[in-house]
Amino acid sequence: MSKKTIGLLMTTALLATALAGCSGNGNGNGSGGSEANANAGAAANSGSGEAKAIDTSKKVELVWYVLGDGHADSPKIQDQINAMLEKDINATIKLNFTTWNDWQTKYNLLLTSGEKVDMVFASTWADYYKFADQGAFKELNDLLPTYMPETWKAVPKQDWDEATVNGKIYAVPSTYPEYTPDGLVYREDWRKELNVPEIKDLDSIEAYLDAVKTQKKVTPINGKAWNEVFTLFKAYHGYEQIGGDSGVIVAKSYDAPRDIVNYAETPEFEQFVKRMKTWSQKGFWTSDTLSSQKEAGDALKAGTGGAYWRNAPGAGGFIVDAEKTNKGTDYAYFPFTRFHGYAMPTLSVNNAMAVPKSSKNAERSLMALEKIRTDSRYFDLLTYGIQDTHYSLSDDGKLAISPPKGKENDKNFKGYGITSWGWRVTSLAKEQQAGGWTEFPALMEEFKAESKPNIFAPIIMDYKPVKSQQAAVNQVIQQYGMPLMMGLVPDVDKALETYRKQLKAAGVDQVLAYVQEQANAYFDEKGIQ
Amino acid sequence: MKIRTERSTVLFNTIGYVLISLFALLCLLPFLLVLSGSFSSEQEIIAEGFKLIPDQWSLEAYRAVFSNPEQIFDAYRVTILLTLAGTALGLFLTSMAGYVLSRQEFKYRNSLSFFIYFTTLFSGGLIPWYILIVNYLQLKDSYLALLVPVLVSAWNIILMKNFMKSIPESIPESAKIDGAGEFTIYLKLILPLSAPSLATIGLFMALGFWNDWFMANLFITTESKYPLQFLLYKILASAAVLKTSIAGNLSPDFKPPAETLKMAAAIIVTGPIVFLYPFVQRFFVKGLTIGAVKG
Amino acid sequence: MQGFLREWSRNRMLFLMIAPTLLFFVVFSYLPMIGVYYAFTNFSFDGGLFGSEFVGMQNFRFLYESGVLWTLTKNTVLYNLAFILLGNALQLICAIFLSELPGKWFRKITQSVMFLPFFVSFVLVGAFVFNLFNSSNGLVNTVLVQLGFQPYDFYLNTAPWKYIIVFFNLWKGLGYGTIIYLAAIMSISDEYHEAAKIDGANIFQRIRHITLPLLVPTFILLILLSLGGILKGQFDLFYQIIGNNGVLFNSTDIIDTYVYRSLAVNFDIGMGTAAGLYQSFFGLILVLAVNYVIRKTREDYALF
Repeated sequence: MSKKTIGLLMTTALLATALAGCSGNGNGNGSGGSEANANAGAAANSGSGEAKAIDTSKKVELVWYVLGDGHADSPKIQDQINAMLEKDINATIKLNFTTWNDWQTKYNLLLTSGEKVDMVFASTWADYYKFADQGAFKELNDLLPTYMPETWKAVPKQDWDEATVNGKIYAVPSTYPEYTPDGLVYREDWRKELNVPEIKDLDSIEAYLDAVKTQKKVTPINGKAWNEVFTLFKAYHGYEQIGGDSGVIVAKSYDAPRDIVNYAETPEFEQFVKRMKTWSQKGFWTSDTLSSQKEAGDALKAGTGGAYWRNAPGAGGFIVDAEKTNKGTDYAYFPFTRFHGYAMPTLSVNNAMAVPKSSKNAERSLMALEKIRTDSRYFDLLTYGIQDTHYSLSDDGKLAISPPKGKENDKNFKGYGITSWGWRVTSLAKEQQAGGWTEFPALMEEFKAESKPNIFAPIIMDYKPVKSQQAAVNQVIQQYGMPLMMGLVPDVDKALETYRKQLKAAGVDQVLAYVQEQANAYFDEKGIQ
Repeated sequence: MKIRTERSTVLFNTIGYVLISLFALLCLLPFLLVLSGSFSSEQEIIAEGFKLIPDQWSLEAYRAVFSNPEQIFDAYRVTILLTLAGTALGLFLTSMAGYVLSRQEFKYRNSLSFFIYFTTLFSGGLIPWYILIVNYLQLKDSYLALLVPVLVSAWNIILMKNFMKSIPESIPESAKIDGAGEFTIYLKLILPLSAPSLATIGLFMALGFWNDWFMANLFITTESKYPLQFLLYKILASAAVLKTSIAGNLSPDFKPPAETLKMAAAIIVTGPIVFLYPFVQRFFVKGLTIGAVKG
Repeated sequence: MQGFLREWSRNRMLFLMIAPTLLFFVVFSYLPMIGVYYAFTNFSFDGGLFGSEFVGMQNFRFLYESGVLWTLTKNTVLYNLAFILLGNALQLICAIFLSELPGKWFRKITQSVMFLPFFVSFVLVGAFVFNLFNSSNGLVNTVLVQLGFQPYDFYLNTAPWKYIIVFFNLWKGLGYGTIIYLAAIMSISDEYHEAAKIDGANIFQRIRHITLPLLVPTFILLILLSLGGILKGQFDLFYQIIGNNGVLFNSTDIIDTYVYRSLAVNFDIGMGTAAGLYQSFFGLILVLAVNYVIRKTREDYALF
């Protein structure tokens, strides 16, 4: 029973943190500074020179783990892959899936227990930096030039830098640049119908929510509203969290990254929570929002809600799906990047593959990954399934279309889709981003035009020296901070005072000092002022 | 005198019927809501919450679960076999241990009871236990991982011991004088006398194996080896994850109805085990002990 | 040692019969218990369990430093006491009625029905509670409004939640616990009741003087068994019903939910194990103390 309790603790953390992780770390990095170290270049040279034959005489079976679910045909696909792999590198892969149940717990166990695993998915939102820093993965610097020569050359130096922890590369990042800023999905048809000005700032958001509430008689954010409000708070003020979820500790703006504060102490926070109190009183969300398990998106789809937080590609998928189900409705998306006019691409290690320390076959595992990343036969099979069974190619051969020709009307058809994120390479990818949302390309152009390198996400923090303070602070945020921000407290001034006092008592200043120190070290190293 | 007795019995029965009916109703009502919810349309549940009779009937949730019938049948097979094997083996060990601990004659019964109970208090946590099972016992992806580590529980053993304590010590004593061995006494005399407790604890064990998804979650990686509960949990987790921002990257072809699915899963799991209960009730017969002693 | 040898030669068969069970606990419970050492280390992958840095009691600091440990302990103990005592009392009453009521089908059906909540997962329990009490279309408030009362905002008031949580805990465990008492009642000899009937005792008197006293050992045993876990607890019940709702924490926070919140962002093996160790020690001391008292008064009721 107590085994389960501890399991549950980690376990239930899973979705909560996974989601928080996605929103928090999602908008990773682009080009982390011009003076990045030169080890990548140097090693690349030695790699290309080294063409000595690799000994693959001993047949090995590799155990790989990726997140999520397999597909009914996964064993068949694995067999086909293995037939090719055996010929090419005398190895086979056993591809295991964590499933989505408690994947965080299982992922932790796989790495902590030293179970024999040869490759796992790795990601900033699955604590890549923390695990790498604590020594869960194998260093790859010496292996990459020999066993993944093409990838070694093809992946931009910037991307390798982002995968580097304490001067060592611990993962092979995917090569698939994305922007995943937060934003709001809303009902464009309602906005027009209700004569609300176009959404472009906090006031127009308020006007829209107000109109939805008063005229449509619908709770605008109907369900869990914390993400909507919290991401809005950060984006509106241009606050950036540091090295993942840093709680109340933020950099005050992109242009002054060293100005790091506890946001609860700022006058901006005070103003914002007062405003949120009025929003809450107006009924923009329900008083039970913090206990609700309902997704505001479900209500938005059902016509009983008016807004939903999503990152940009997620918004695309949501809108395409919602417009398909509800013919005649019109949804739009307001990315929060428009508050301050900049966007940050995701870090390369937002999706990556890493070799756990316990692996005995790192070399062969890397060789297999090289095959997948460079040979479209491997890539397509593993990513899109079997041609003409799970997908068919578009006429120009650039897109994998699912369901394949001839199966469009087949009710029993189940699309193939596994979490192929870790090995994605743009040059081989054959899918449309954001579910084929027509407005997405324009949005991407907008982000690219205002792109700034992410200087916050790659700062590595494990909070070791202040871990009990950090735990206490996180607790206080949930107990006092969340109700305050959601306007659920009777007296804002008093609640604010309590919150600040509790944070201090929990040791927020020590956490702040720690974050500041880590950030300064990183900025010094990268030459950022 | 006679009338007074009757009146008190009438009073007792009235209170009993009212109270038990009330409790039963409180237990039944939510379950009916789950049942009707599982046949509702997803949109309705989201917009209007639970209803006893849905406006719109829908089989969507069950279709999502049974979209791959082979898998469900595999899972049923695994669960049924696991439940049978686990309960039989577990009940054997538990009743044997309970018997030993209940024997007054056995000097170490208290210290061993403590030895067993202690394990419910302290645990080294998930990680060392996982390392033991995966790295040392090599049970990853083996059916044995679903069976062996949860075969007996301290709680059941102590409960069993308590039940067996009510069997008079004279029964094994006299059998021993007749020259019977301890194992024979346990098998031939004690077990038949313990039918209600065996039924009770057997039921608990069967429920434990039937409901367990935790072990499969940690140790089973091959889909065809999934027990039913875990398969359902997996489907639920996939449905839930499609609503998170991770979903932006997932294939949108398969969108199961997450809310109604939860309820359909509860119904599917409950169904068969409900039939087990009346079977167990047959063993709840009064006066079993005394009759056997006399015979 | 000599005592052991004598016992061994006398009761060899009994030893052999319990040996597989003891082996089970040694392997699956006692061996992994070395993991409690995590509570005293700063875990790193390079070091593993024994190579990681020893940090003494540092991992316990997050529990007591914030000053809430006493409140949390009190909350957890009170909730569990309510669960244990009310739960057992209710199950006992149900079992007595179910064993004495005349209607055979009534008994069978209600008994089965009372088992149904056991199968309802806590996730669904959470959904029920939300559907009953939420402010927009919750059943309770809909009824209140229809009857002409003011709606009550459950999610902004801490007062009702203790009762709601206790209610659903009792509700979920009712059928399960009742069976244990039923099984115990079944082992009571009919002769006692028959004899009492001849003496003219009515049904209440018979229950008071025969059934209840004979159920006391089972009652005490179940309470003793539960006391060890008095600080652990029912995480799912609380988490699914309350969620991350800080508004309600004052009356609904227990150690497990607190620890979960503290470590959700940055899980730490050491701190997680430390919290578990605190819960275990508290439970151990309590059980030993209560068992000691019981042993002094009525030896045969004691757990060990």
